[in-house]
Amino acid sequence: MEGEATKGVLSVLSRLEMQARSRKAKPPQQQNSVKELKSTIDALITQRDQLKAQIETQMCVQKLRAAMDKQGAHEADEEMDDGSENSKLLRLMARHAQLKDLLHAHHLIGGYDIVKTCQGKGVCVSLATGYEGVYLDTYNLEIDLKETLRIGRHNIPPFIPVNSLAEQSNMQTDIRAFLGALSQHLNAFAGRKQQVKLVKELHKSVEVLETNALCSILVLLLTVPREKIAVLCTLDYADHTRCLPTRVCIECEDKELPGSPHWKNNITLLKETPVHKALITMKKMGYIV
Amino acid sequence: MDDSTKRLLQQLVRRIPTQMLKTTLEKWGRLTTEQQKSLDFTQPKWVLTENLLAFCEENGWTTKHITELEMIYVTDSPNQGMWYAFQLLDPEDDAPSVELTQFKEQFKIHLTELIRHVSIKIKKHTDEAVWIRIAWGDSFSRPNHLKPTYVVHHLQTPYVFMSSVTRKQKPLLSQALVLATRYTAIKDAHLSGRKLTAIRDVVMKQYQQVFPTKYPSPLLEQNQTASNPLIKREQAESSENRHQMACEAFGYGMVPQLQTAVYKLETKFRGITNKTMTERGEPIRCVVKFTSTNLLESFRNCASSGIASTPVTPLLSSITQKGRNFFVITDNGRGPS
Amino acid sequence: MERRNSMARTPLSSVVAPRRSRSKSYRRSYHSCLGAASYLSLTSGLTARRLTTSRRAPKSHSITEKVSPEQLALLVKKEWQLSYVTPLHQFRHKQLKSYSRQLQAFIVAERQQGLAVGMEGADSSFRVSFSVLQGMVETDDDAESVFVQIHSKPVFAGQEKPMRSVWSGWLACISGSPDYLRSLPEDFVCLPLFCSSGAEWLTSLVKSWFQRMFDCCFGPLEINTTNLEWLVALWTNCHSEFNIQHLKLMWTLPVVPPLEVTYTLHPQDAWELWRSIREDVQDEEKTEGGRDTMAKDGGSICIEEVMRFMQALKCHFYRHFRVDLSTGRLDQVSTALGSAKHNGKIKISNSSYMITTLMLLTECALLKMPI
Repeated sequence: MEGEATKGVLSVLSRLEMQARSRKAKPPQQQNSVKELKSTIDALITQRDQLKAQIETQMCVQKLRAAMDKQGAHEADEEMDDGSENSKLLRLMARHAQLKDLLHAHHLIGGYDIVKTCQGKGVCVSLATGYEGVYLDTYNLEIDLKETLRIGRHNIPPFIPVNSLAEQSNMQTDIRAFLGALSQHLNAFAGRKQQVKLVKELHKSVEVLETNALCSILVLLLTVPREKIAVLCTLDYADHTRCLPTRVCIECEDKELPGSPHWKNNITLLKETPVHKALITMKKMGYIV
Repeated sequence: MDDSTKRLLQQLVRRIPTQMLKTTLEKWGRLTTEQQKSLDFTQPKWVLTENLLAFCEENGWTTKHITELEMIYVTDSPNQGMWYAFQLLDPEDDAPSVELTQFKEQFKIHLTELIRHVSIKIKKHTDEAVWIRIAWGDSFSRPNHLKPTYVVHHLQTPYVFMSSVTRKQKPLLSQALVLATRYTAIKDAHLSGRKLTAIRDVVMKQYQQVFPTKYPSPLLEQNQTASNPLIKREQAESSENRHQMACEAFGYGMVPQLQTAVYKLETKFRGITNKTMTERGEPIRCVVKFTSTNLLESFRNCASSGIASTPVTPLLSSITQKGRNFFVITDNGRGPS
Repeated sequence: MERRNSMARTPLSSVVAPRRSRSKSYRRSYHSCLGAASYLSLTSGLTARRLTTSRRAPKSHSITEKVSPEQLALLVKKEWQLSYVTPLHQFRHKQLKSYSRQLQAFIVAERQQGLAVGMEGADSSFRVSFSVLQGMVETDDDAESVFVQIHSKPVFAGQEKPMRSVWSGWLACISGSPDYLRSLPEDFVCLPLFCSSGAEWLTSLVKSWFQRMFDCCFGPLEINTTNLEWLVALWTNCHSEFNIQHLKLMWTLPVVPPLEVTYTLHPQDAWELWRSIREDVQDEEKTEGGRDTMAKDGGSICIEEVMRFMQALKCHFYRHFRVDLSTGRLDQVSTALGSAKHNGKIKISNSSYMITTLMLLTECALLKMPI
């Protein structure tokens, strides 16, 4: 409450009032000006010394950083250990800078970020997802740091089983495993969702008959060009950590078609390449419209 | 064509607003082109009803066809009536792989086992939602199509939304749903509202939420007056903070339109200085109900304007966090989950 | 990104000051009661209206002994719209029959001229009746309350079809300020509270007829927050003798879109809270002692108790929701005894404690009047 008061309108006014009063009270005198100049000089000298010290510290830290990056943190520690307080502090600063850079790099490659919240009582993890070089949605998860870690607010959709993942990968002891597994699930989901979107956009001749919220089932209606026969293609993504289907089923009125070698190849193609790309290939080779 | 079909059609046409009637009939597709052309939608409703009843005779529509029309209308305007959310618990191992045809079959089988005379219609909507319309009968009478129950479920999610279910019908319906979705139990999610889209968005977290991040994009102030560089807002930082916390608790931008939140409190009196009361130690029972056309937006406004002190109390932020709008609060912590 | 939490505001803590002197609380209630304009500046020796800082606690038996049940039935369980009326010039209680005929003729005439706007249906046959509500007074200075009823039936209905009541209204003065009443000139009858229920066009016709006949002036009577709070306290106080079944308060908060808060308390708990507040206030008064102590006989409630009660309720709410209800407007209070709305609508559900409610409303009407 008080902090706000000092920045308020009243405080500005009182500051102005004080300035006006002090201006009235002080008649300019020569002795005072000499004293003032001397004190200004002293202040500037102190400032210069502080800045010099800062530059020195930074240079030491950078040297340490370079050594750490080359040799690995622990070896650098041992080398430069001369026991003094200063060097310990410098090492910590170097390590801190290194970790910050690592985290930033992790963020740039699309990994997850963590920030502190609630004055250190919790963290918020941001998990970015992407597919084929395109950033997709970012999901957030808040974790309370008490004796047991507890998952708080998040915007992860309910069909991604966050709580069971936390149990399975032992979130309490190994949070990296949990975050890794979660990131994997989310990225796979985002990838599958993006594939469905691309199929709808790029392949207007293919009809998407069925999908579901988790994008773990995809049923497409394909048309064979010459005979205009309809082929029902079901893709099952039973492994929710992957973007590729685990099972592909072809059904058709013409009982011969699914068994034909061309279509057996197509099935293998659909299992090994993302569906929107596989459809492009199949179109080029003339199997579907 | 019998009386009940006529009555159903009459009731339905009365319910559908005239501006929606044209598109709904087109989607239904059971009118011939001449019939469709002959309908003049500027005429009063009773004239249209008469025309449609005549077509009903001509085309030989049955109750089944009329219920189709009703379902089209309801799926297109789901924000009517009261919807209640339920949560499925403890999935079996094969729950994530339940797909549509399996679900449809299983649901029909299980429900008809529990009650013989039901009329079930299942349809998949474009947004992956499965809509179920149920007309209930009993051992003596045929299904009553005038008071159907609607159920909406998104496969592979643990949520089910129901509308117009009586107390007797609920256990039967719950049982059938649990068995068909391969879960073990179902419970009340304590979330209700008039707009299906709103409660669905709250529960599936399909609205813009705000989280603290290292790389924040500044939240746009809701009323950004033309920023004159000479004007400096004294309290800019604290109002920025309040706005951030308000958005974190209640969402950003367009939020799902809930209408009410009800809290049943049974807590010790928390007043100031009142010795007699605090000595008394008995809890005070009261019910607090918040009502608004857009509840979350009202709350967000309260928090960012300072009417509600920030950080927002967990009682209010639980609405979005836990996805519910009915709470029982006692001194020992939250009531039944 | 570390966040600095804004400090918790406890707006209500500032109000818990040690008991202020009587004059200060008097002044506070004065300002809140009067609202925007200060009518007392127009005093011309007629008015010595003191604002009520204390009221007698309501007694239940006072009304049912005096007024007949049939007449009471006309008044209860109906929602009345309130207005104030300036004193009526040359109104005679003995000429009610003549007034009935005149009002009836007036309505029919206005109807035929088509001047009445918004009338519906084809009612054209009207019957008006004026009657006196025997016993609806409290003091000797009060004028007898008058009840007006308008019956009508559709034009083409036969003779046998009974007329149904389409509009009713009544004027009352319950325990009006005796100084004011005595200071009125001879010809004037003061019935400041006007309650109406029925079609709007009939209400305006009745009002314009009164204005023409008795040279008076009508105006809307809103019930402001302080008076609603008085009703809360008065009604809650009755719980020991009459089960009020619930205490329901409704606020509207000024956000976009407006947020309505309905706060319903269990009656026993509300009463316990009220009782403990009264004990505390009375204890404080005893300890402060001196000439400020009024004789507290448990039969009167002072405004300090009312204010504290409301604050306690709001504080309990704040502790849970951290929302300050004072930023909103108290719109409605209701118990099993009745309900009162800020826009001047009142409903009396039970005749038990009617007199006290009407006393309060009469006072509001007298204060709101421009003369």
